[in-house]
Amino acid sequence: MAPTGYPLDPRATPGYGAGMSETLDRDVRLAVMRGFVDDERPPSPDELAGSLGVPQIEIEGSLRRLADAHVLVLAPGTPYVWMANPFSAIPTPFRVAAGERRWWGNCIWDALGILAAIGVDGHVSTACPDCGEALEVEVEGATIRGDGIVHYAIPAARWWDDIGST
Amino acid sequence: MLLFRSEEHAERWTAQRRTPHGAFLTLEQQWELSRTWFEGRLDPNFARRTTEEARVVFERIGLAGPFWSLTS
Repeated sequence: MAPTGYPLDPRATPGYGAGMSETLDRDVRLAVMRGFVDDERPPSPDELAGSLGVPQIEIEGSLRRLADAHVLVLAPGTPYVWMANPFSAIPTPFRVAAGERRWWGNCIWDALGILAAIGVDGHVSTACPDCGEALEVEVEGATIRGDGIVHYAIPAARWWDDIGST
Repeated sequence: MLLFRSEEHAERWTAQRRTPHGAFLTLEQQWELSRTWFEGRLDPNFARRTTEEARVVFERIGLAGPFWSLTS
């Protein structure tokens, strides 16, 4: 992906002003999302540094700002992307398929959100947490088909208290 | 946000784990929420919704009341 708006050689201008951070954060977020869509996984910080032409330390700073802003979630204690809603970088019980591509959603909201974000028809497979029975959901255009009921345990105001369990 | 076979299954599961009873959405409601929430997420200039914008999305789908309030 071509950088969009920051210096061709960022090392020539150490540090970014507030405006440049915003541009970098936008491009990092977009590159993370495109990684999920195209490669079925997020790029690592060194891959982002290479594709955006920015020193890795600047990439890691950007990832932390995005995490602080709840745009994405990093694996605890690391600069590695764990979630960029609706995508999960780690296996979950919410498997999403569209054509040959496969992803994991963080929950049923996100699993369906992957198909919505990309704008494709597809399939979500999960299992009832109570009985283990497979639950299959099909999305075609604006239509959804499948069995089951969605349960929200945690009130909306507390979703970000522990987003991993939400 | 988990998908259960039925409300009965969800209620048994939450009771066993002392998880809050919470709220239920039909699959159709959830699809509408997912579509509204995530369409445009891949746009370069996507910005997170404000609390007020999120409230409007919830209300449009019929999700109102304290459980769906984004401010405590």
